[in-house]
Amino acid sequence: MQLITPFQTISKSKKTIILVAWIVLLLVLWFVGTSGEKHLFPNPQQVFKGFSELYNEGLVVHIFNSLKLCFLSIFLATTIALLFAYSWPIPLLKPVSEFVTKFRFLPFTGLSFYVAMVIHDARNMQIWIMVIFLTTFLTTSLIAVVKDIPQEEFDHAKTLKCNRFEVLWQVIVLGRLDYVIDVIRQNLAITWMMLVTVESIVVASGGLGFLIKNSDKFMNHGRIIALQIIILLIGLSLDWFINFLRRALFRYSKI
Amino acid sequence: MDFEYKETLLYVENLSVAYGDTVIIKDINLVEKDVVREGHNSTSQVIAVVGRSGRGKSTFFKALTGLVDPKTGKILIKDFTSNEEGAAKEIKEGDIGFVDQKYTLFRHKTVHQTLKFALRKTSLTDAEKEEKIIEYLHKWGLDNFADKYPNELSGGQRQRTAIIEQLFSSDQFIVMDEPFSGLDVGNIIEVKKSFDLLNSTSEYNTIIFSTHDIELAVELAQVIYVIGYPTVNGEKQKYGSIVAKFDLRELGLAWKEFGEEHLHLTKQIINQMMLS
Repeated sequence: MQLITPFQTISKSKKTIILVAWIVLLLVLWFVGTSGEKHLFPNPQQVFKGFSELYNEGLVVHIFNSLKLCFLSIFLATTIALLFAYSWPIPLLKPVSEFVTKFRFLPFTGLSFYVAMVIHDARNMQIWIMVIFLTTFLTTSLIAVVKDIPQEEFDHAKTLKCNRFEVLWQVIVLGRLDYVIDVIRQNLAITWMMLVTVESIVVASGGLGFLIKNSDKFMNHGRIIALQIIILLIGLSLDWFINFLRRALFRYSKI
Repeated sequence: MDFEYKETLLYVENLSVAYGDTVIIKDINLVEKDVVREGHNSTSQVIAVVGRSGRGKSTFFKALTGLVDPKTGKILIKDFTSNEEGAAKEIKEGDIGFVDQKYTLFRHKTVHQTLKFALRKTSLTDAEKEEKIIEYLHKWGLDNFADKYPNELSGGQRQRTAIIEQLFSSDQFIVMDEPFSGLDVGNIIEVKKSFDLLNSTSEYNTIIFSTHDIELAVELAQVIYVIGYPTVNGEKQKYGSIVAKFDLRELGLAWKEFGEEHLHLTKQIINQMMLS
C-alpha cells in the first residue's frame, strides 16, 4: 500500500528494489516482445550485432569526432553567449542581447543555407551552424540567470563602494560562474540532439549522426537502436560529468 | 543628566522618496548627535525605526544608504576624513553600511576574502589589513570560519560577517533591516552581543535598525522613531513619515535593565503605531 501512496517516504533499499524491478520489466518486455517472427523493434541479438558491427567500423573514432565537434561548438557558443549575457545590463547593448535570444525560434535549414554560402568547408560549416543555434539558447538561459539574481546582491555590492562595472564583475561574472556550467549542462540535451542532426545533414568527418544516417539508409534496425543507446549513454555521462565538475570547482555552489 | 550631546553625526532634512508618481516617504527630518556618557570610554548610538508594514521603513533605509535617490531633501553625515570641526558630507552609496534581512554576502568569497575585499579602498598596507582581519575575526568569534563560504556558515555567523564587512567599508554607520526577524532566542542573544561589540569598538559607531519586536527596540535603542502614515489637516496621508520620536536617554530609560517603565513605553509606541 505504501508504494502507491502519494508523497510516501520509503527506505533506500526499497527505492533500489523498485528501480531494479522496472529495469527487469523493461528487459523482459524487450526480450518477450521481440521473440516472435514479426516485431517492430529489433531483438537483443540484432542490437548486439549492431554494436559489434559499429565497433568494427570505427565507432570509437566516430564518438571522438562527435565529442570534438560538441566541445568545440559549446566552447565557442558559450564564449559568445557570455558576452551577450554580460552586456545585457548595459542599456545600450540590452536590445542586441534580447534580439539574439529571439533567434532560437528560427528553423535550422533556412540558416544553414546562408552559412553554406559563406563557409565552404563542411567541418567548419557543422561547427558554425552549431555555434549559431547554441548561442541563441545559451544566451536565453544566461540572461535568465542574470534576471534571477536578487536585488539584495546588487545592493550589497553597491554598499561596499563598488562602481557599476565592479557590481557587474563581482555579482554577475564572478558570482555566477558556477551557473554558467549549469546552463551548459541544461542545454546539453539540445546540443547533443542538434549535433546528431547537423552531422547527418552536413556530412564531414563522420560522427554519430553520420552513422545513424547510414544505418537508416539500409534499414538496419539493430544498428539504429545500438546507436541510440550509445548516444543516450554518452549524453547522460556528459551530464553527470559536468555536474561533477561544477561541484568540484565551486565549493560554494548549491544549485 | 549623566550624558551629553556632542557633534552631529547624522542630519536628515525634508527627505522624500517616490517611485514614479507614488510617494513612499515624505517630510522626514531627524538629527542624531554623538552622545558621550560620564564614566564610559565609548558609547555608540543605537537608533530603532519601527512602524507597521508598508509604511516605508525599507525605503527610508535605502535612501539613508544611498541606494535610492531622494526626490527632495538631503542626508548629511559627519565627514570623518576632514579635521575641520563639524565637517559634514552628503551621503553616497557605500558611506553608510547596510545589512539586509538575509545577511547578503558575496556567495563566491570566503569570510577572509570578503573582509579583504571590504578593506580594498582603505589606505592600510596589506600587512595591516591582514592584522585587522585577524583581530576582528577573533573578537567576533569567527577565527575558525575564515575559509568558509557563506553557504557553509550559520545565520549568526553570516550576520556577524556582514556587520564586520560593512564596518570595514563604510564610515561607522550601519543600517540593519530587521536584524532579529526569524531568529531563535540564541541567535537574538548573538545579535545583541554584536550590538555590544559595536558599542565598544568606537564612540562614533551608529546603528540604525528596524524591528517589529517593540520590546526589543525599547530594550536596545536609545532613540526610537515611529514611521507611519501622518495625519495632515485631519486627513490620513498615504505616504510614510516620522510620526513620533521617543528619546529614551531623555526619558531616563536608556542603558538600563528592562523594567516596568520600559513596558509602559512599549505600549505607548504600539499605540502610536496603530494610529498611523
